[in-house]
Amino acid sequence: MDFFHKIIELFSTPKYMESIWEGLKTTLIISVLAALIGLLLGTLLAIVAIAKDSKWTKLPKLICKIYITVIRGTPMALQLFIMAYVIFAIRGFPQIVTATIAFGLNSSAYVAENIRAGILSVDIGQTEAGRALGLPGRTTMLKIVIPQAIKNVIPAIGNELIALIKETSIVSMIGMYDLTMAAKIIGSGNNMASYIVPMTVVALFYLGIVYLLTFGIKLIEKRLRASDKR
Amino acid sequence: MISVKNIYKDFGTLRVLNAVSCEIKDGEKVVIIGPSGSGKSTMLRCMNLLESPTYGEIWLDGKLLTPADPYLHPAVMQTSKTYAKLYGKMPDEAEVIRAIKEKDLLKKHEGRAYQAALKEVEKQNQIDINLARQQMGMVFQHFNLFNNMTVLQNLTLAPVQLKLKSKEEAEQHAMQLLTRIGLQDKANVYPSTLSGGQKQRIAIVRALAMNPKVMLFDEPTSALDPEMVGEVLDLIRELADEGMTMVIVTHEMGFAREVADRILFMDGGQIVEEAPPAELFTSPQNPRTKEFLSKVL
Ligand SMILES: Nc1ncnc2c1ncn2[C@@H]1O[C@H](COP(=O)(O)OP(=O)(O)OP(=O)(O)O)[C@@H](O)[C@H]1O
Ligand SMILES: [Mg+2]
Repeated sequence: MDFFHKIIELFSTPKYMESIWEGLKTTLIISVLAALIGLLLGTLLAIVAIAKDSKWTKLPKLICKIYITVIRGTPMALQLFIMAYVIFAIRGFPQIVTATIAFGLNSSAYVAENIRAGILSVDIGQTEAGRALGLPGRTTMLKIVIPQAIKNVIPAIGNELIALIKETSIVSMIGMYDLTMAAKIIGSGNNMASYIVPMTVVALFYLGIVYLLTFGIKLIEKRLRASDKR
Repeated sequence: MISVKNIYKDFGTLRVLNAVSCEIKDGEKVVIIGPSGSGKSTMLRCMNLLESPTYGEIWLDGKLLTPADPYLHPAVMQTSKTYAKLYGKMPDEAEVIRAIKEKDLLKKHEGRAYQAALKEVEKQNQIDINLARQQMGMVFQHFNLFNNMTVLQNLTLAPVQLKLKSKEEAEQHAMQLLTRIGLQDKANVYPSTLSGGQKQRIAIVRALAMNPKVMLFDEPTSALDPEMVGEVLDLIRELADEGMTMVIVTHEMGFAREVADRILFMDGGQIVEEAPPAELFTSPQNPRTKEFLSKVL
């Protein structure tokens, strides 16, 4: 019974709720902005990655490949530390910007891989049919390949966004106050002096966000799928 | 209509086409037959540059589609450094050119005059590949209808995107074409709901929606269930009767005999024999043709 009393206590204490709200805000801001950076930059990277080999694309493609390999081959926490303590080691530099960039860059590499795979998974015959009609490569890409690729890619991108939201919990490692950190502070000795309650509440918040996102993605998938089954 | 001039196609170290030349005349129906892997599809795909030939040129109605091949232009070769080096060492100019061609002596850097001469040939003759492709319809073994579009959108996409027709005109023309093949009621469905025969007939009219001068067919019935082969062949036969120029790769020997003005038999990346069907099927000259026909007839 004590557990439920404590939960009620948490929800009815403005100080605690403010902490949670503060943390939630940080988590959401970083997640949403990083997701935007990830999607935009990731799409760009994917387009470079699948570009035909030529002397103009050689260097960009190489850079792109190295970038994706390095980002995917090193721990997120390390990337965050490098951002915070090396690249943006400037007194007074807003941590939220540091974190957003770190997560955005990280996410872009995964998004790029997903989109690249999605584009490659579209049958080459689709491109050939477009080109054989005399359509330029760009039109074929935009009207025929990308719409089909998006359908293939949405589930993977959704997973990536979900992973991103949960990963942001490591910003507490550079001393930021996010949802996870809020739980820790509320649970500490000079507050509730019990971790189980705030941790449970915060876990439910994460679950709620992830659930909403999953629901949204399912909805989009269903919409897109409606177009080829009728 | 189409001139294939001495094309070679290498995939890595594999030579798939080896010095192939042929002419497709206006209104002519040419059928290409040959064993699997003989280079039939590659040859057809070179005609509209879905594959770029390693050497040689493709011409459509007097316009060059490929980059200029110096070996086909003696005047260009004469401006090269290699020619200058060999000149005087051989009895006459023709000999020099022959030597260069035979031993493939031309290098990347043959001097400015040579580059200019080559560019000039292209400037005089070359046509934008997308423009050329608009005049050549292609039908694939696996239909390749655009899965993200309705049947009607499949037919109107290219004419509208290429600004050849307004959306209304394109739709009207598309509906005429669909009515012709009796599939007007399928205009607003997606390809995934159609049978193979329906898909292929729609793929054919999709190509026709561009009013092409020539149609290229790559085994149009090979992916179909037997009961659907007939409807597709009937449509192709109709087009043939209307005078459409076409090049057809097929394993349907009966159809080939019936529709072709001329049959090309390919083997090992070369056109081994060509003749009107009556001749080729009854009295093949080349032993490889004989062997192939004895297996398939
Ligand atoms: N993109 C490619 N890369 C490498 N090799 C290829 C490629 N396309 C074709 N080939 C090879 O070229 C050869 C000729 O192929 P092609 O498809 O032109 O033969 P085909 O006569 O059409 O045969 P089929 O009757 O089986 O369709 C084959 O050995 C094939 O494996
Ligand atoms: Mg083939």
